[in-house]
Amino acid sequence: METYQFPGSAALFKRAAKVIPCGVYGHFSPAPCVPADAYPFFASRANGSRFWDVDGNEFIDYMCAYGPMILGYGNPVVDEAFRAQMNQADSCSLASPKMVELAEYLVNLIPIANWAFFAKNGADITNFAVMIARAATGRKKIIAIRGGYHGTSPWMQAPGHHGVTEEDQENIVRVPWNDIAALEAVFDRHPGDVAGFISTPYHHPVFADNEMPAEGYWQKVQALLRKHGAVFIIDDVRCGFRLHMGGSCEYFGFKPDLICFCKAIANGYPISALVGVEALKNTAAKVFHTGSYWFSAGPMAAALACLKELKRLDAPEILRAIGRKLNEGMVAIAKSHGYDLKVTGDPGMAYYRITDDPTLMLHQQWCAECTRRGAFFTSHHNWFVSTAHSDKDIQQTWDICDDAFKAIKS
Amino acid sequence: MNRELIRANLNLYAVMQNLEELPRLDPEIGELIKDWKIAIQFSVLNGPSAHVAFENGVCMHGRGAHPAPSVRLFFTSPRHLNRMIDGSGTPIPLKGFSKLSFLQKDFAQMTERLEHYLKPRNGLIQDEAFLRANTTMTLYTAAYGVRELATSDPLCQSIAAQTPQGTLLMGIQDGPQAHIRFGKDAVTVAKGPVEHPTAMMMFRDFAAANALLNMRSDAFTAVAKGELFLRGMLPIVDNVGLIMDRIQGYLL
Repeated sequence: METYQFPGSAALFKRAAKVIPCGVYGHFSPAPCVPADAYPFFASRANGSRFWDVDGNEFIDYMCAYGPMILGYGNPVVDEAFRAQMNQADSCSLASPKMVELAEYLVNLIPIANWAFFAKNGADITNFAVMIARAATGRKKIIAIRGGYHGTSPWMQAPGHHGVTEEDQENIVRVPWNDIAALEAVFDRHPGDVAGFISTPYHHPVFADNEMPAEGYWQKVQALLRKHGAVFIIDDVRCGFRLHMGGSCEYFGFKPDLICFCKAIANGYPISALVGVEALKNTAAKVFHTGSYWFSAGPMAAALACLKELKRLDAPEILRAIGRKLNEGMVAIAKSHGYDLKVTGDPGMAYYRITDDPTLMLHQQWCAECTRRGAFFTSHHNWFVSTAHSDKDIQQTWDICDDAFKAIKS
Repeated sequence: MNRELIRANLNLYAVMQNLEELPRLDPEIGELIKDWKIAIQFSVLNGPSAHVAFENGVCMHGRGAHPAPSVRLFFTSPRHLNRMIDGSGTPIPLKGFSKLSFLQKDFAQMTERLEHYLKPRNGLIQDEAFLRANTTMTLYTAAYGVRELATSDPLCQSIAAQTPQGTLLMGIQDGPQAHIRFGKDAVTVAKGPVEHPTAMMMFRDFAAANALLNMRSDAFTAVAKGELFLRGMLPIVDNVGLIMDRIQGYLL
């Protein structure tokens, strides 16, 4: 099978490194792509389930822009709604009627929601949610899951990261995932001072197997938070609308007070949303939080169209079916080569790991070989599929996986 | 643990171990020590202790007490040791009074040479031999410094506690290497390669390593440019990087 080269990406990166810190920063940084020379750094175009890099190499995309692309790149329904709104107005001096329409739609769609608030990125609304929790309770401490990710604000980062002070972290208490006893212990250690608890609906760290909630975990968490009067925040930025159209809490059977959505809400257009229960609406009104582009109407129109399309298709079921099919085939191919490919997390956004080498080096080598052959796999992060991933894509991916296993064995 | 004590630990355990490298990297120093047969003990009250021993043209550095030192140098506090390293303090000799002139002339020549390599003046880094020496010693200082800060700096202790267990191999391809092991209860470090590392942080050449270790480049860019190769459990690499970046704050 032909393998790709990336001279155009490498040349562009050299230019980028002169004028941009890190060349390409954040989660798009080439650093976790191992080895870096097996990966493209810049894309020139995208359509459906695929993108093309600046060297013209074509990839079946299993990162989906790290989650936003849920209906496929260039989805005509969403793009048309965006264009139509842009022809009317986008960033303007007044709020758009689309904002009201989108909020009404979310309130009807999400069972726990009585109101919605819009921003741009996940961190905008995880920050807002934490501020609401503190304002509503008059308390300081926020409990979060160790290894959980809620954006890059200083309070969200791990201790010791550059630009983060000890004071930024002093009111964040980390507990292990699925550990009710540890959660109870925090309330014992900080009586009357826990404002809220923030977590993803299941644990999806990087470089580690993803973990589903234990039987009854969420119900116990909910009861404990209610007992202590702490606000229950679900960070559904990555999972939102991939597990359940009513929010991932509906999939797992519990009721948080606040849910943070971003990524898949508008198929790539920049918008995030916080929805909440009636009891927190007045508090949310009092917390001042805004941004230059938070009222831009184009992404709101895109979100409305995207959510309607996801609901019409029953996208979560489609994504799970695509994921299950892909995963079952890949596991079988791995087994035929003598490898154990472990799949964890939801099938439509699973984390993969070849368990035969606990250092991940073998897994990194395999993901790199797949990427060189046209299936864009990262080795450190969960993947994503979209409703645009077809049977043809899956078959081609299986062929690539098979050839990549041959390559790493040779 | 106070700042002076952490700095003393770094000086005795991370910086001073480079005396082992000097005779190998600098022929003049190799010639200077070829006939030395002496062991020098450094002891700090309420602080670290270490020794350097010379024999057959080789320098050996070790933690703790030497079994039979020829010279004992005492420091009344970590600050006292740090002042000596900075050139503004003198140790209190407890044993080996007949070796005082050796300490003041010959051994001082060696320590001055160490400073010459570790704190390069402008332009020296352009010289290939100097680049190799500076990079080798900076690499080892970083590796041993990570162990010290992971053990004694409160923030680095918390970073180390969050680091996956395993061994990081760091170094230069076909060049000097060191490995840092994050165990259940301890962080250990040693020079040289290791079989089956959990993670690897390998520089393409001395120039790339020098730029990153001296903070003239960043790891993300170096990776993308093919100057730095990472493999395996990258959270170990990330956390070691965070700790390494704090070393200079103590030593500068």
